[in-house]
Amino acid sequence: MQQIKPQNNAAELTFPKIGLLSSEQWIVGSHVLTGLLALLIGIFLGPFQVFRRAPALKWAIPVFSYYYQALTVHGVMNALFFTTFFIVGFSYFTVIRSLKRQMWSTKLVWIAYASMLIGLLLVVYALVTNQANVLYTFYPSLIAHPAFYLGLVLLIVGTWIVTANLFLTYYQWRKENPQEHLPLAVFATLTNFVLWCVASLGVAIEVLFMLLPLSLGLITHTDPQAGRALFWFFGHPLVYFWLLPAYTSWYAMLPKQANSKIFSDPLARVAFILLMIFSIPVGVHHMFTDPGVSEVMKGIQTVFTFVVAIPSLLTAFNVGSMLERAGRNRGAKGLFDWMWKQDWKNPVIAAQISAMLLFITGGITGIMNASLTLNIALHNTSWIPAHFHQTLGGAVTLTFMGICYWLIPMIRGRALYSVKIALWQVHTWSIGMMIFGYSYGAAGLLGVPRRTDLGAAPYINADAVPYLNLSIASGVLLLISAILFFVNVFGTLMLSKQPLTEEAPIDTYVETKSPLWMEKWGLWLSIVAILCVIAWAPVFMEVVDFTHGFQIPGYNPNGGLYKP
Amino acid sequence: MHIDRLERYWIIAVGVVFGIFAAAIIASVVVFGVHLPSPVGRIDPAKIAESEFAHPGLTQDSDHAYTLHLVAKMWRFDVGSKEPQPTIKLPVGSKLTIIATSLDVTHGFYIEQHDVNMMLLPGQISEVVVTFNKPGVYHIICHEYCGPGHQAMVASIEIS
Repeated sequence: MQQIKPQNNAAELTFPKIGLLSSEQWIVGSHVLTGLLALLIGIFLGPFQVFRRAPALKWAIPVFSYYYQALTVHGVMNALFFTTFFIVGFSYFTVIRSLKRQMWSTKLVWIAYASMLIGLLLVVYALVTNQANVLYTFYPSLIAHPAFYLGLVLLIVGTWIVTANLFLTYYQWRKENPQEHLPLAVFATLTNFVLWCVASLGVAIEVLFMLLPLSLGLITHTDPQAGRALFWFFGHPLVYFWLLPAYTSWYAMLPKQANSKIFSDPLARVAFILLMIFSIPVGVHHMFTDPGVSEVMKGIQTVFTFVVAIPSLLTAFNVGSMLERAGRNRGAKGLFDWMWKQDWKNPVIAAQISAMLLFITGGITGIMNASLTLNIALHNTSWIPAHFHQTLGGAVTLTFMGICYWLIPMIRGRALYSVKIALWQVHTWSIGMMIFGYSYGAAGLLGVPRRTDLGAAPYINADAVPYLNLSIASGVLLLISAILFFVNVFGTLMLSKQPLTEEAPIDTYVETKSPLWMEKWGLWLSIVAILCVIAWAPVFMEVVDFTHGFQIPGYNPNGGLYKP
Repeated sequence: MHIDRLERYWIIAVGVVFGIFAAAIIASVVVFGVHLPSPVGRIDPAKIAESEFAHPGLTQDSDHAYTLHLVAKMWRFDVGSKEPQPTIKLPVGSKLTIIATSLDVTHGFYIEQHDVNMMLLPGQISEVVVTFNKPGVYHIICHEYCGPGHQAMVASIEIS
């Protein structure tokens, strides 16, 4: 870490105290690497599901009779544990570097880490022993082993401690610097943890008061419709919790990496505020085909979903102009040639631009999913995994991989093991995800369901067979890409001998003056609360059975009634 | 707060596009009459034997109108026959009202090529109306994971 070269704005960017570095290295490193460990478990199960679902290859995967177990591991490890650990580590790094200070409490950092790690171990235990095949949405009345729910609770409690620590660090800094402009990356991080905390209340209530007690045998019945509402209160902001760190990197770090400048700092903050506020009252668009929610509420949340798409389109403009400037700096003259006159030889940049390209289809398909009546043609078909492998699997994961290509060297204090491998990884990943999106999207429109062991299904629409077979190519590419990624991670940690070359792309200052009213967290929380009441209170009035309470017993995901 | 001229145009364009999308959705509901599943009632699965679902199956209401009572359970669609993967036969032009629920866990209900897509939850009744204008065999697919037998949970509608 000591070899960091002074960068553009030298005085601002070098890190002041050597003593902090080791603790920063450990804090960030442990979270990011634990996240990558979860990814290592989850990622390799993806391609085999594609192979198993393709008629041309299903015979080749006979051992894969554990389809739903593998699907659960894939979803839970990638979507819940990899993302959360990585985001927490990345957020610590951003805040420590940008505010040039330690976290408010290092002890709390490690308490939160321990809580999340024990959570991870408990969930892995439940999954590996085949006692929690409930997929990452764990809809009741399928009931998993208590260790699964306990692990999730510990993960969430850990993130609450993280949030408290982040905000206390920020308030401490603000007290000492009452007039200073908060760096955009920190602002974005804080909005992300506000939305996470509000959102996680839904799933915390579901797990603590419905699922865990039932799993332990303290209660005997549940309500699947209420459970789904609580889950999706959490489930949609969850996807923004994944996306906002990627946006943070595009807005606040990519300009430095691409030798450009952000187009508008205040509008970036407006985008983050809108994302924080409007990601909550939209979750019903995951429940358009549910019998327990009225069409009126479905319509209202469609409107809110359109509103939450606006900050993403603001981002497209803002980040797009930033990239145009980068391209022009590299000699682009025409109307469009700046698009390819980028530094494609730098895997950090290549990964993030490829991620943005994937997010274009991811965003468009997302708007289609959320379009009320159009959803009937798409819900629970393979169109849906096609969509979220462009967003979560594409935009978010590929950006996180790009971040890894400078962050892991920084954690290790050595250069990236191989730039060439990293570039191959980025391109195999983005092409793989495009093929996956195309083939699964097309198959979904023809009625191929998601989350189904098609290799053993007695029905397959003949029209969809070519698309499912095409998806094998995506599986192969993504498998190669995943191997290349981890070769580079382990190579950087164990084999790299070169000194560090990349600097941390961190802003400690803001050129554009952003109004201080943007930091009125109490105001934003009140607006979130009001919108929650408008958008969600009527939904809960509809789905909760106030006269009978819970009436549905739990079932074992392997068959039969659930026995604690 | 300063907003660049080009960015202002962009924001307006975004607003217009979403206005058009919203108008299209409203038109799909008001003009074309596309509706989503919405609450029709609750049912305690323990008391299913005393309900309208006691004898699931097809009933003819009038010339071309039928009603199908269906109970989804791990892992088959119960329409009154003993077969694990039953077939329902109907003439072309039939208007079918499907009233369905789940006995145990969350199931899905999807008819190929007919824009019928709904969740079947224990405790809730789901209802949809669909008209079959083209002869053929259409699968009814459970599209929500419901346990290790999920992929075998299918029925067919034969239109002739």
